[in-house]
Amino acid sequence: MKLVDVMSASGLSMYAIVALLLFVIAFLAIVLRTFAPGSTARYDADARIPFSDDESGPAARARE
Amino acid sequence: MSTHVDTFSYDDAIVRKFLWATFIWGLVGMLVGLWIALELANPAFNLGLEWLSFGRLRPLHTNAVIFAFAGNAIFTGIYYSSQRLLKTRMFSDGLSSFHFWGWQAIIVAAAITLPLGFTQAKEYAELEWPIDIAIAVVWVAFAINFFATLAKRRERHIYVAIWFYIASIVTVAVLHIFNNLSVPAGPLKSYSIYAGVQDAFMQWWYGHNAVAFFLTTPFLGLMYYFMPKAADRPVFSYKLSILHFWTIVFLYIWAGPHHLHYTALPDWASTLGMLFSVMLWMPSWGGMINGLLTLRGAWNKVAEEPVLKFFVVAITAYGMSTFEGPMLSIKSVNSLAHYTDWIIAHVHTGALGWNGLLTFGMIYWLAPRLFQAPLYSKKLAEYHFWISTFGILLYVAAIYSAGITQGLMWRAFDETGRLAYPDFVETVMKLMPMYWVRVAGGTMYIIGMLMFGYNIFKTWAARPATYDVPVISAPPLTKAYVDPHPVPAGTGVWARFTGVHWHRNWERMPLIFTVMVVLAVVVASLAEIIPTFLIKSNVPTIASVKPYTPLELAGRDLYIKEGCFNCHSQMVRPLRHETERWGEYSKPGEFVYDHPFLWGSRRIGPDLARVGGKYPDLWHVRHFQEPKAVVQNSIMPTYAHLQKRALDFDGIQKRIDAMVMLGVPYGDAVNRAPAMAREQATAIAAGIEASGGPAGLGDREVVALIAYLQRLGKDIKSAPVAAAGGTP
Repeated sequence: MKLVDVMSASGLSMYAIVALLLFVIAFLAIVLRTFAPGSTARYDADARIPFSDDESGPAARARE
Repeated sequence: MSTHVDTFSYDDAIVRKFLWATFIWGLVGMLVGLWIALELANPAFNLGLEWLSFGRLRPLHTNAVIFAFAGNAIFTGIYYSSQRLLKTRMFSDGLSSFHFWGWQAIIVAAAITLPLGFTQAKEYAELEWPIDIAIAVVWVAFAINFFATLAKRRERHIYVAIWFYIASIVTVAVLHIFNNLSVPAGPLKSYSIYAGVQDAFMQWWYGHNAVAFFLTTPFLGLMYYFMPKAADRPVFSYKLSILHFWTIVFLYIWAGPHHLHYTALPDWASTLGMLFSVMLWMPSWGGMINGLLTLRGAWNKVAEEPVLKFFVVAITAYGMSTFEGPMLSIKSVNSLAHYTDWIIAHVHTGALGWNGLLTFGMIYWLAPRLFQAPLYSKKLAEYHFWISTFGILLYVAAIYSAGITQGLMWRAFDETGRLAYPDFVETVMKLMPMYWVRVAGGTMYIIGMLMFGYNIFKTWAARPATYDVPVISAPPLTKAYVDPHPVPAGTGVWARFTGVHWHRNWERMPLIFTVMVVLAVVVASLAEIIPTFLIKSNVPTIASVKPYTPLELAGRDLYIKEGCFNCHSQMVRPLRHETERWGEYSKPGEFVYDHPFLWGSRRIGPDLARVGGKYPDLWHVRHFQEPKAVVQNSIMPTYAHLQKRALDFDGIQKRIDAMVMLGVPYGDAVNRAPAMAREQATAIAAGIEASGGPAGLGDREVVALIAYLQRLGKDIKSAPVAAAGGTP
């Protein structure tokens, strides 16, 4: 019996739906966490990382 | 908290090297593009030289602009920004250097082998197996260097640009390896391990995601670093950038099958590809908005700063082409656009606008910093911006018109119910004025490129005798994390979930992040790949479809060598105007021995799926000798060299052996392929001579190619379709 016969007979279509659901759940978790209240200050600081080596940039101004 | 501070410096020498490579290869790739545009407008530009023909040069153009121009641009930006975002020098200068020289050697190898006709016939994956191995080795060296740099970083949070780089590095590796799996049949010849529908599926899983993870995600990473730097303000919404990243990673990988609508691909895969493509509208436009709104309160700077002008139009082009992409993936739109120049216009909006202009903006911003001298001429950069932008507009306006004209002419019926334009060449001639406008638009873009090169060269010429190497100070990362923005502690699952500590712990291990990205990409890929490969009903076999004879296989290899698939499709879609024009629509089972598949993606010339038996052998001989002699107004170049060059009969055995390794059921041919090929060639040559054609073609390449063409589409006429069976 070939692998193709085994795969054809094993009714795998269900697993595609399971994978899709897992993907949606993971994605929703990311959305919820990203937009959870109280995280703004942290993300604002992260957004300034490109300026941390630049004394004239917004990071420097933010420190003033 | 540790009071120890490390001192170090950044390696900008490698960035300068990649910057120059970007310009040099960009110019080469664009000049080749201009040349092939001229060949389409007037076939005299093929100059009768086989290695200059459109079929041979088109892959050189695409590979040069994607992997040489855009590739070197990506590396320029990644090496510059990663060191600064991670506050560390690259892990190994030696690996950086190996990456640079290895990549340039690969480009040189491509520039030599592609015009000579060594190709795997897979779009953007044409390079033959030894070069593929070299790409994998160089890419792994780059990945090791990059991830080791991540490991020794001094910035705890990994900025979002780095996320995009990580996704690009790991996904490109996966795509490259699995699409290029092949069995060698010689030093520069191989056959894909996949056949027909499965090969097409793998190719466009790769092809679409090459656009996604080579031309989109790394450039988005560059956008998230260089746009805020040039605008001197942080990205509009960091939260949106996180969402942008994960949505792209979750969705993009599924979209490939939209390149195969109405082909022999199973309908479910095609529909799945369409749905995920349409969903891509969200992250693409979210990203575009995030990029453009970074300029909030600073739009006045755009008027003064050419760098920002380049960025604004680049990001707008990203928005336009990623609006159009999902639109083109909708089946009804795709039925009009597929195989036409519309796709070429779409691609060039993205490549010239998004990739090109973002690269130019980035390098204009980098040049004064890397060469430690002011930009030679801001005014020249302004002129470059305007001439490039108008060049793009001219190019795409003409080619959009050409594509829609083609699509509408192909499907037009007259009042009697017959095709309004049954003569294919009529639809080609209609495009000529637009092809000349494209030449003008492309020329303008290249003039801009020359201005760019001159400006950068003059800036470099004003550099100091010795570059200043600033010493940077930064504390190493501590084991314990102290949140600079503490959030009042909460209790319960929600508080723990939204809390920062577990996230900061994960951030110390970028490997986990990388694994999650790989998981997202691989699981999505497998959900499409497994059913296509392993469920029989997706590729019903046809009892009458047999392997190609040894001579036909040799002819097929010549078809690949000459790059015929760059102009001719081999796929009749189940649409009325297609079946009226070309014959019975193509079935999945017809391609089970096609290693690789040759469905093509464009119809500059007619479809050839059913060309077998349509013309006598002598017609083909004359057509190859001088296409215009048999099809007035044809823009096909001459292939007279096929009548002069002797066919390598003895080399056929090796190719049959490779096919046998792939499971193609060859009987007698396993032992006597050259003899069988000679017998068939002698019979065809005798027929040509008997019908008034030239004598002595029995050992010439042209006979093999004719044998192959005369076989196309014939098997299905021999017997009815059998019930679903196993794949070979």
